[in-house]
Amino acid sequence: MDQSRERNTESAEPLTQSWKISRRAMVAGTVATTAVAAVLPLSNLAYAQASNPRQDMVAFLLLSEALTGVNRQTLAPEFSADANEILNSDPGIDPINIKNTYFDWTKTHAEPSLFAKLLQTAEEKGLSQDNIIAKVNSDDDTKFLARSIVLLWYLGSWYDPADLKANASPGTRHAISSKVVSGKAYTQGLVWQIVGAHPMGYSNLQFGHWSRDPHDLNGPNGSPLPLFSAPKS
Amino acid sequence: MADNCITCDVAIVGSGFAGSFIANELIRLSRLSRKDLKVVILEAGPDVQPNFNAYMKSFYEASFKVPESPYPPAVSDSDENIINPRKVPAGRPSSLTVGGSSWKDPGKAYLDQSTSNRPFKSTYERLAGGTAHWMGLTPRLVPNDFRMNTTYVKDQPPPKNKDLAKDLQSFVDWPIDYNTIELFYEKAEAELGVAADVDEQRFCGIDFRDNYQYPMPKIPPSLFDQRVGQALAHLDDGETQFLGMGRTVTSLAVRSLPAARNSQPYRNRRACAGNTNCIPICPIQAKYDPTITLNEATNNGATLVHHTVASEILVEKGQVSGINYINYGHEGGPKTGCLKAKIYVVAANGIETPRLLLMSKNKGQTPNGVANSSDMVGRNLMDHPQYLSWGLLPQPAYPYRGPLVTSAIGELCDGPFRAQRAAFRVSLGNEGWTTVVGGGAQFGSDPHVTTLDFINGMNSSGLNQKSFSGLADDNRALFGADLTRTLGNLISRQFRIAFPVEQNPDRDNRVTLSSALDALGLPRPKINYDISEYTKQGFAAAFRLKKLIFSKLGATDFTSVPQDDPAAFNVDDTPELFTYGGAGHVMGTYRMGDDPTKSVVDAWQRSHDHPNLYLVGSGTFPTVGTANPTLTLSALALRTVEHIFKNLPSLKS
Repeated sequence: MDQSRERNTESAEPLTQSWKISRRAMVAGTVATTAVAAVLPLSNLAYAQASNPRQDMVAFLLLSEALTGVNRQTLAPEFSADANEILNSDPGIDPINIKNTYFDWTKTHAEPSLFAKLLQTAEEKGLSQDNIIAKVNSDDDTKFLARSIVLLWYLGSWYDPADLKANASPGTRHAISSKVVSGKAYTQGLVWQIVGAHPMGYSNLQFGHWSRDPHDLNGPNGSPLPLFSAPKS
Repeated sequence: MADNCITCDVAIVGSGFAGSFIANELIRLSRLSRKDLKVVILEAGPDVQPNFNAYMKSFYEASFKVPESPYPPAVSDSDENIINPRKVPAGRPSSLTVGGSSWKDPGKAYLDQSTSNRPFKSTYERLAGGTAHWMGLTPRLVPNDFRMNTTYVKDQPPPKNKDLAKDLQSFVDWPIDYNTIELFYEKAEAELGVAADVDEQRFCGIDFRDNYQYPMPKIPPSLFDQRVGQALAHLDDGETQFLGMGRTVTSLAVRSLPAARNSQPYRNRRACAGNTNCIPICPIQAKYDPTITLNEATNNGATLVHHTVASEILVEKGQVSGINYINYGHEGGPKTGCLKAKIYVVAANGIETPRLLLMSKNKGQTPNGVANSSDMVGRNLMDHPQYLSWGLLPQPAYPYRGPLVTSAIGELCDGPFRAQRAAFRVSLGNEGWTTVVGGGAQFGSDPHVTTLDFINGMNSSGLNQKSFSGLADDNRALFGADLTRTLGNLISRQFRIAFPVEQNPDRDNRVTLSSALDALGLPRPKINYDISEYTKQGFAAAFRLKKLIFSKLGATDFTSVPQDDPAAFNVDDTPELFTYGGAGHVMGTYRMGDDPTKSVVDAWQRSHDHPNLYLVGSGTFPTVGTANPTLTLSALALRTVEHIFKNLPSLKS
């Protein structure tokens, strides 16, 4: 299956340079620079040293936590946060490491400037999760990329933001094609846990579990076991 | 015929349930009697895999998770375009093309249904182990299933409805009865490893020999099973009178369904972990599949020749003299060959078996095909058309856990009503809205569709309305805690109930040969199919029972039929629109009987025309009842082995 299993954040390659530039450009608020940045090549830039993969990953996790409604320590099991300096905290090494798969996938499939903008939103100091959501929703372009990222986490499948936008009029009934990112991504889909189940074809549970409440895996006298922890706002 | 034929004692076409059972049991019997028996099996598809890893990878990565997803050959190319079956050496029907817009297009669908009234929606696999994608359910037929004509037609006044009267006349008795097959049910249950409780299974005339126990204790019920059982524990006679059971019905029992599913370790396979993936593949092989018996047969001396399609059965002087085949496993292109044996067994399922028989014209000497003096080969194609219903419970029952089906209501499958309408069983699903969301596969499967609805403000599932979601508005697009809370609330309350309905024989429901070819140049199967008034009346009764069950559960009904569904129909003059799903039960196309002018094989599944040819599998069922066919066809195969072995001429000691 996916070879990226062994990779961790420390060894992840630096972010695609073009969006790093456009992100800084937007910080500066110069439209002209943004336009230039969008056509720059993807590598061999002098800015390479300026990128901080660890900080990018933490921003991705903060963004994902707010959008998915699932605690970042569920998204990245070894995440250790320093409350004061969260962007410099350690996104952690975990044996599944699906966060890198999703980060890399988004990087290669999304419009770089939009992904940069989303990460920047998550980096803003003091922005609550509700405010992150409100800010993401206020921009029609980041909104659909944000939905694609949530669908990645929930289902392990990529729905193209353009397809989501094309089918977004309220109450649309339509099939949208999607691509399973990898076998690993399918088995790590969060929606299964959210509904108290497991991915079909990938159960770590034991014989007879279906006879009991999923929050009470050890029988009627066991203590309720939360399948995921909701983020703190 | 070429001189360099493979020679053996018994040649078998097909390595699924019936073929594997016969091969393995023949080898076992020959060893017991110290005979040297050479068995060769031709398999159209690939060999048994050393493990399931490649199949699981294909399944996990498939965008559309359908019964054929794990298995070769691929149905779609890398751009998700359906591969033209003209380019596939050993193709098979796909769930992606049995309904929807492409079912009549032989450029996309393997089965040529261009002239069919309605789609035949069931599919099958062609690979070593055959029907490995089955659900694993193994109920027995009930005694009256073997004598439909005697019990419900012969001495009964015919119904007033002329169509119904004609449908009833199509019912015949089997040449064997429940008592004939009972011992072989036990043998098959041992080989398959069936988990069930004897006392719970005594209904509709099913009985067991003294002290008989199933190999394993029953599979425990899901939360949803328990919920339905409580809801139907106390009913009013007036509420159930429409069932026509001929007795007072004041409760309906939800019983654990016999299944070839390990409830404890059995023959070196582990207990079920509830992967909710019996169809298409159990990742831990806790569900029996025929590769288990097939491997035992080949380990003990049977030979499996894979990637090899039987193309013609040769007949000389009334006896089968050989089978021509095409092997496409070579890099240099397909090679032809032949197989010579004393006894020939065709075990290639209810569509591929008649196809092979009809293809075998022996240079014009058998213009209607082999074993077809009765003209019954390919006729009476039957399935168990399924009435699918789905809804939302008031409280969570946490689906998407456990085997796909653990319990059922079986006791409604026989009664006086069978002189008026088709019987059905009631199968309780543990997989939420996976196969039904939005009205079938048109939007994809759940939980994906509902998840997409609430992330993108859509409503393919029908759930994104404030009355169900409890949100402030309809068609909400959510992020964060609102999203987890809403999906957790709604998806954990989903359920589906399926009603597999009996189908009566109809000589015009038929497998013939198409002018459309496969990659080996062989004609593909052509299907003509419809459902009868008798079956439709069964749907109408299932609909009424559905309404009763849903109301007792306090459930909201989401059942719907897509506007353009080619299978859609009404019953009588009521506005309710119905459709059906395929059960994957391909039956009836080379029926057994005592009369050689009206049936293809005798009670031993031996061809009336050719004494050294046996045709096995569910194609021999003259009528189909409502039980899943695998246990019965396995039992019949074991019974046939005894006949073959007894009659094998002059074996070397």
